[in-house]
Amino acid sequence: MASIDLDKMLEKIKGTQWALSDIDWDAPGADLITEEQWPKLKEFMADLMWIEHVGARAFAALAKKAPTETLREIYTYFHAEEQRHANAEMALMRRWGMLDGDELPEPNVNLRIIIEWLDRFADEMPVYVLGTVVPMLEIALDGALCTFLLDTVKDPVCHQAFEKINDDESRHLGVGFTVMEMQGRSASYIKMVQMMARVMDPRLILGIASYMPLLNKMRDNVIAMGLPEEKLYKAMQKFERIGGRTEEGRRNPWFQLIKHHGRIMVNRRNKVYHVPVDALVKITGLVPRNALPAVPSWVKELTYEPTATR
Amino acid sequence: MSTTQETKKSAKPKATRKKAAAKKPSASKKPVEKPTSVLIVGAGFAGLGMAIRLKQAGIEDFIILERDNAVGGTWRDNQYPGAACDIPSNLYSYSFAPNPNWSRSFSGSEEILDYVHHLVAEFSLEKHIRFEQNVAELRFNEAQGIWTATTDKGAIFTGRAAVMAQGPLANCSFPAITGIEDFKGKKIHSARWDHDYDFAGKNVAVVGTGASGIQIIPELVKVAKHVKVFQRTPGWVMPRPDFATPEWNKLLFRKLPASQQAMRELLYWSHESMALAVIWNSPLTRIAERIGKWHLRRQVKDRWLRRQLTPNFTIGCKRVLVSNDYYPALQKDNAKLITWPIARISEKGIRTVEGIEHQVDCIVFATGFDVSNAGTPFPVIGRHGQVMGEEWQGGAQAYKSINVSGYPNLFLTFGPNSGPGHNSALVYMESQLEYALKGIRKIVGEGLKVLDVRSDVQQRYNKGIQKRLAKTNWNSGCKSWYLTEDGFNATMYPGFATQYAAQMADFKEDDYETA
Repeated sequence: MASIDLDKMLEKIKGTQWALSDIDWDAPGADLITEEQWPKLKEFMADLMWIEHVGARAFAALAKKAPTETLREIYTYFHAEEQRHANAEMALMRRWGMLDGDELPEPNVNLRIIIEWLDRFADEMPVYVLGTVVPMLEIALDGALCTFLLDTVKDPVCHQAFEKINDDESRHLGVGFTVMEMQGRSASYIKMVQMMARVMDPRLILGIASYMPLLNKMRDNVIAMGLPEEKLYKAMQKFERIGGRTEEGRRNPWFQLIKHHGRIMVNRRNKVYHVPVDALVKITGLVPRNALPAVPSWVKELTYEPTATR
Repeated sequence: MSTTQETKKSAKPKATRKKAAAKKPSASKKPVEKPTSVLIVGAGFAGLGMAIRLKQAGIEDFIILERDNAVGGTWRDNQYPGAACDIPSNLYSYSFAPNPNWSRSFSGSEEILDYVHHLVAEFSLEKHIRFEQNVAELRFNEAQGIWTATTDKGAIFTGRAAVMAQGPLANCSFPAITGIEDFKGKKIHSARWDHDYDFAGKNVAVVGTGASGIQIIPELVKVAKHVKVFQRTPGWVMPRPDFATPEWNKLLFRKLPASQQAMRELLYWSHESMALAVIWNSPLTRIAERIGKWHLRRQVKDRWLRRQLTPNFTIGCKRVLVSNDYYPALQKDNAKLITWPIARISEKGIRTVEGIEHQVDCIVFATGFDVSNAGTPFPVIGRHGQVMGEEWQGGAQAYKSINVSGYPNLFLTFGPNSGPGHNSALVYMESQLEYALKGIRKIVGEGLKVLDVRSDVQQRYNKGIQKRLAKTNWNSGCKSWYLTEDGFNATMYPGFATQYAAQMADFKEDDYETA
């Protein structure tokens, strides 16, 4: 896959917009969710929905930092599209009777921590940090989780919605990998120096400390759902394969760093990594919800309603 | 909508326009009135100001062609709730026609329009105005040294000199959003307000958060059931030092006109100093941005809303907004700011990219105007049959913003590169009127057939202007109505109003070819 023309991509994005009202959320098929599936699926969907929102917030930060007007606009659309995915997933949860009234599904603590981090620091992060992390999160979490969902859920409305969501995601990934390659075009040692300066940034260290347990936590959730963890690892390897397909991509030090982290992450025998990170998952799991700060107001923008009058 | 069509007409391809221009009758038709000294197009601030200055100079035979049936131009058209000027009234009025009775420091559009009507009455201008005469073509006849204006009704008016005072903000602009024609509810443009539409109990969308939008929104929030504000780019909003003028102040200005003049001077120089922050990127720019951010932080407590409202460009790059009630209005229970990109307009409302259709009864478009950066609102045909709009396709240019080579005896008000970013438009306009008056006096007094600026002089002037513009905030990378699609700035003057006035005070005969 060669790098894409971002101007053409922006036109394509504008021309392929869909709305929640394009889907008949009351169409038959909701009863295809089995009773056994239902409670696990509820938790799974809540996580998925929040991961979309994590992506949304990261794209919002990227839109602010984008080096060109075209990329700025693309990321502005991607931010909104991730929100749309979260909205659509909420609409599915509503269809399946998983939402009580107007309640919002609760994100798990690791997601809450990453949301908090994003809200506080994402805007300060350099574009090439988020520009590399986001494709990894999308490919690993979104990709693996969506595949699993479509493998196990028979409801045709779910398939209809995810067909649209996956189309969007493929564009997100296309842009993501192109940007990674763009970042690898300048001399890598300059990037390396810049990167090292950034790694020293305590805000970034905090971000890494939130990102690592999030991945392990999601791995645990995936296993709990009955998904072979190899599927998740396969998805993560896809990041390495696509991101490293060109010399420019390979030269991006952030790609190298995240790729190596991915390799460590999928190696369950690496106790040096997994013991402390799993411990972090456990510790963060103990954090009482009321100890966390109030959710940022962008969280309240989520809705399962295809139309709004107020 | 006819106004929009006019603008589109000016953007027609070369061949079509030439054909259209050739078809129009000019000298062959009998003029409805005998040639006048001056033809003025437009009875807004500029046209009326020109008329007043002509009268004061003893030139009485002029005609003002007005396409509408009332005077006032922009201020007649922009009668939306909350419409007001962003420049203090004492500075947004003519120095040669002061008004001591302004009720507020920043007056509303009705009061400004009253002032315009007062000018018409005070200087007996009504008899000079020909209403409902929409100019379709302006053509110069070199042999006779006469400009001929043909209106869309086929009426013909002639003058030895012509002043194009149709205004840069004359034609309202609807955004190019897919499905805009599909909407079954009410559509209102800020510059064509429907005063009969009752907003009470209605769900309303406002598209656009520029100068008009931020004035309309607080008023709509007071009456409508819900107001959704669709923002594309947040602008810099500064506090507005607005207050009611005390009676003693009005009395003082009436009894002692010098005190009003002194106030005007004070306002003028305080605005001039803002150029250092707004036009060029300087330490003062950072201070101005801090004031803007302080204003936002003080009025908006929610972090995310504040982020959505924080501009992402240097202050001054786009027009600086002033308001005390815009941010509070957005935070009312019945208001909501929406920053998702608009995907399309549907029958019932606006679909945004987060997948939701925001259903409303009415959409208010506060989306500004078709500012002619590279055209004219009607074909203007010069001494060799050339068309001004075509010559401007690569970017409009004039000499000192007022004369264009090849179009003798023609004066533009708010022509290319005459826009202010920091001071009163009327200060610039007065300089233009004085300059035009000097030219007209030469044409009429010396019986000239042709007073045409030399093209080399014009080119040299524009080279200098573009060089200076490159260093300004307007050209620093953001998109604005100051720039063409290609990023060419044919709108703003890159300097102080004082510099502009100085260049306009200097009428160099050598710069012109005369016959």
